[in-house]
Amino acid sequence: MSSHREAPSISQDPVADNADTYAFVSPDDPSTVTIITNYVPLQGPPGGPNFFEFGDDVLYSIYIDNDGDALPEIEYQFRFRTTLQNEDTFLYNTGPIGSLSDPNWNKRQLYSVSVVRGQGSKSLGQDLACPPCNIGPRSTPNYDSLAAAAVHHLPTGETVFAGQRNDGFFVDLGAIFDLGDIRELNPAHLIPSAAGTSVDPLKTLNIHAIAIKVPIQMLTRDGSVPSDVAAATSVLGIWGGASRRKVQVRDGYETRNAGPWVQVSRLGNPLFNEVIVPVGDKDRWNAVDPIDDIGFEKYVNQPELGRLLPVLYPGAFPNLAAYTKNRADLHAILLTGIPNGVVPGFQNFTGPNPADMLRLNVAVPPTVNNPNPIGLVAGDAAGFPNGRRVFDDIVSIELKAIAGATIPLVDPTYTPDAAVGLVSSYLTPGADRYQSTFPYLGTPHDGYDTPSS
Amino acid sequence: MERLSRRSFVKIAGAATGAAALAAAPPIARAAVEEGAERTNPTARVPEEPVVAYVRDAKRGEVTVTSGTAEHTYRDRVLVKRLLRAAGRKDVS
Repeated sequence: MSSHREAPSISQDPVADNADTYAFVSPDDPSTVTIITNYVPLQGPPGGPNFFEFGDDVLYSIYIDNDGDALPEIEYQFRFRTTLQNEDTFLYNTGPIGSLSDPNWNKRQLYSVSVVRGQGSKSLGQDLACPPCNIGPRSTPNYDSLAAAAVHHLPTGETVFAGQRNDGFFVDLGAIFDLGDIRELNPAHLIPSAAGTSVDPLKTLNIHAIAIKVPIQMLTRDGSVPSDVAAATSVLGIWGGASRRKVQVRDGYETRNAGPWVQVSRLGNPLFNEVIVPVGDKDRWNAVDPIDDIGFEKYVNQPELGRLLPVLYPGAFPNLAAYTKNRADLHAILLTGIPNGVVPGFQNFTGPNPADMLRLNVAVPPTVNNPNPIGLVAGDAAGFPNGRRVFDDIVSIELKAIAGATIPLVDPTYTPDAAVGLVSSYLTPGADRYQSTFPYLGTPHDGYDTPSS
Repeated sequence: MERLSRRSFVKIAGAATGAAALAAAPPIARAAVEEGAERTNPTARVPEEPVVAYVRDAKRGEVTVTSGTAEHTYRDRVLVKRLLRAAGRKDVS
């Protein structure tokens, strides 16, 4: 998956597991950029009585590099605080929750937002309410109104939301981790079987999202709203991260934390740590910053999955199997951005420093009518790898790229294998996965109705 | 290199928390503690922001101290030896 449980250590720590990061020019408000970082992946909606929440002891960060040095010039920080209204009940709520201040809602989370620019930290909001989890028709009968009330407009111009949403990521997990299978291509697999139809297990699961919408001029290096796609000032590097205090002291049932914040999870490009970095290096990758990614460059240059595809699908990828050069196409897409002159009319280059960040060219307007989930590869420059929209078909894009579809961008002598056209997620998510307004991820599934049988 | 004597370290730790927590790796067991140290039961809860010291490298006499979100490592062979003895380590010279 994009980064759900992708590394040994963070798979044991769901509340700090940065599962997806999105960044795009807001389609309904193109003077702003929306950034979303998701945590607490693979939530089964009925998971009570202690329904899912953020970690009170976790520092959640969204980083923006606006001058191409792979270091953050801007960091938005989110901290959470859980409150109980009634300690003498086992219930999450003691009646229907009609509002964010309803006394029936027992266990709540509030959060603070601050921004760090240079050496200074500024508080932007305190005691902002999260919505409850979506319990069911008796407990949260008007869920969308609760979620709408949890969209906070800050005096400084940002809009924020933090709470449970529908997980927008889609992938046939069961197949892909069964030796790289794609059910539609079962007959061509090394261990063949009859062709099947891809299944999306995430379509009934929820996630916790931290979303922020920021006016573009508050993010660019010169305070401008760029209109020149070719200009370096138009490109932002964006990633999310979660940190914990270095020391934890347990004393009876109480836990105390001490020491500096230590990063335990991060995410820029989807699937980077998941399928590019080998398992022995995944925890280290989570602990370091994009500026340190030169140590992981070798995994991009010679990706393991690129060597596996010709083995798993014998005879289907002869050109890929014979290609031994470093993958300059993947290096550009994932580590430096695409320079001017590679894709006509587009660039998101941030300089030669190899660093895993989403790179968003904010001068590219959002595609409002019929956006293509295959993004830039399909001619829709508002989609991945120009940032990442919630509905972008990351699995198809990255599988095709690793299979060789993007090599000709940097090596015109290469001809992609015909099988590249067959490599796909084969999934089309339902419309309920997303919404057209902030925070763009759809209403979370409620626990009463999911699963429905 | 930051400078901090054992005496001033203990003083700062105590002042910061009211009860400094000195956490060495293994639990205290049959501690052959130095004269002046008295083994006792805890009389207070762990402070909200405990000061924690741990031996990073016994041979070099390095001890790391965290306080709030700060962390510093000191070379203090006397303090390290004392912590190791309190921890019941037999490899203390």
